[in-house]
Amino acid sequence: MSGYTSDLSIDEAILLEEIGFEPLSFVLGSSFFHIGYTLASWSKSEEMPKLTSAMQEARASAMRRLVDQARAVGADGIVGVRMDVDHREHHAEFVVMGTAVKAPSPAWRVDGAPFTSDLSGQDFWALVRAGYRPRSLVVGSCVYHVAHQGLGQWLNKLGNNCEMTNFTQALYDAREIAMERMQAEAERASATGIVGVKVKEGSYGWHSHIIEFLAIGTSIAATGAPGEHEPIAPMLSAS
Amino acid sequence: MPDANTPIDQLADSHLAELPAHARERLARMRGTQAKRGLFTSDLSVNEFLLVKDAGFEAAGLVMGSSIYHVGYQRGRWTKNEEMTKLTQALYHARELAMARLEEEAQLLGADGVIGVRLDVKRHAWGDDLLEFMAVGTAIYHKDGVSHRTHEDKPFTSDLSGQDFWTLLRSGYRPVGLVMGNCVYHVAHQGLGTWVSQIGKNCEMPNFTQALYDARELAMERMQAEAMALKGEGVVGTVIEEKTHGGWDSHIIEFFAIGTAVVPTSADHRIVTPQLVLTVNE
Repeated sequence: MSGYTSDLSIDEAILLEEIGFEPLSFVLGSSFFHIGYTLASWSKSEEMPKLTSAMQEARASAMRRLVDQARAVGADGIVGVRMDVDHREHHAEFVVMGTAVKAPSPAWRVDGAPFTSDLSGQDFWALVRAGYRPRSLVVGSCVYHVAHQGLGQWLNKLGNNCEMTNFTQALYDAREIAMERMQAEAERASATGIVGVKVKEGSYGWHSHIIEFLAIGTSIAATGAPGEHEPIAPMLSAS
Repeated sequence: MPDANTPIDQLADSHLAELPAHARERLARMRGTQAKRGLFTSDLSVNEFLLVKDAGFEAAGLVMGSSIYHVGYQRGRWTKNEEMTKLTQALYHARELAMARLEEEAQLLGADGVIGVRLDVKRHAWGDDLLEFMAVGTAIYHKDGVSHRTHEDKPFTSDLSGQDFWTLLRSGYRPVGLVMGNCVYHVAHQGLGTWVSQIGKNCEMPNFTQALYDARELAMERMQAEAMALKGEGVVGTVIEEKTHGGWDSHIIEFFAIGTAVVPTSADHRIVTPQLVLTVNE
């Protein structure tokens, strides 16, 4: 190990070394994105495909730059990837960063490119020891316009308890679409599963009825033959 | 007019006809074929994932349920301690709808149960009286097909983490269901006379004490009733939260009790002697 940079904690750095990984460099990718405007029809719940693809594209190009940087230093993977959004009035900057690492063998790459994962050093260690490897950080997103309710409907409900089925349906649908896309991305990376999924929502200065749902997690696959995992030995601790 | 104690299936409600098409599609892909399941998704951390595996279970998929609810209006009488039954009922019903959908998703995955369920309340900018209740968790199934479903043959639910789930199973118990109870209460304002007589003095405020005491007890009692309906032996990890939603008067408070009902799987609950660990982490 010679002169490397990383945002790993001491524990993380030691754990990585223990399983034969060598940190190479702190890597970063970013993408500045102009938040466009699309007109949604007032009374219709629907996806805003233009906005979805713009958001997807912005994230993907930030990720691409991160991976390019890692590739340039000869890394086999990136651990501890964090994705931040710096939101300005009409612009948003997507920043991704993590630590590029050299693996014990180049087989850790996914189709020749470094693997990506948002796992901490500790989680990465536990996963590798148990016979799994991360494939890639998988993301699915959906920008959705939620229909406004008519005045009649609104008056109807005044003072009453009731479910707002159209709102429920809309948000439910949007979240499912985001998760489905994340799932499809993992399937393409020939993973067997996704751990640590987070589903977030945000409205980037859009109208309050336009919301982005984002599902993000790390896809994993077994290192050896299926069903062949190192047994873990958990123990109860009093601390 | 149904009150807060009306069983949930007798409430006139507006159930979603069915889960959204995208939900069915997503779940079908994870369910795979009878012989082979597809890719799983989960919000388990790596440690939880490995512990669940060690306990003999596999992750089936991330499941969720949601309900956006219009909470009706009810006025508390200024000088009276009383339950706001309409509000209690609304908040309970909305949570129940979200949980029912989560269970339905788990059912479609052919899961034994759902762990790590989080039940969140959100507000959107569309109105003060609209609340979104959302439940998320990871559905799991037993590797060797040993059923861990409830006595009604439904997937169990639980807010236990993967770590807690592992420890519980190790000690000869299993979860049967996430149980909850709530109570929205209006705390009486005190009269001017009482207020004046108390200036500068140390004294208990018996009407306030009584009100909050009563409200908490009602919430816990309802949770307990749910656990008994599930034939649980006890409830672990109960949390009692105090909440206020969307511009309520400060004298209106919701108490919400939530926990996991458990049953023993064996008469012997031998617990492995815990190790003393001095961590080097901060």
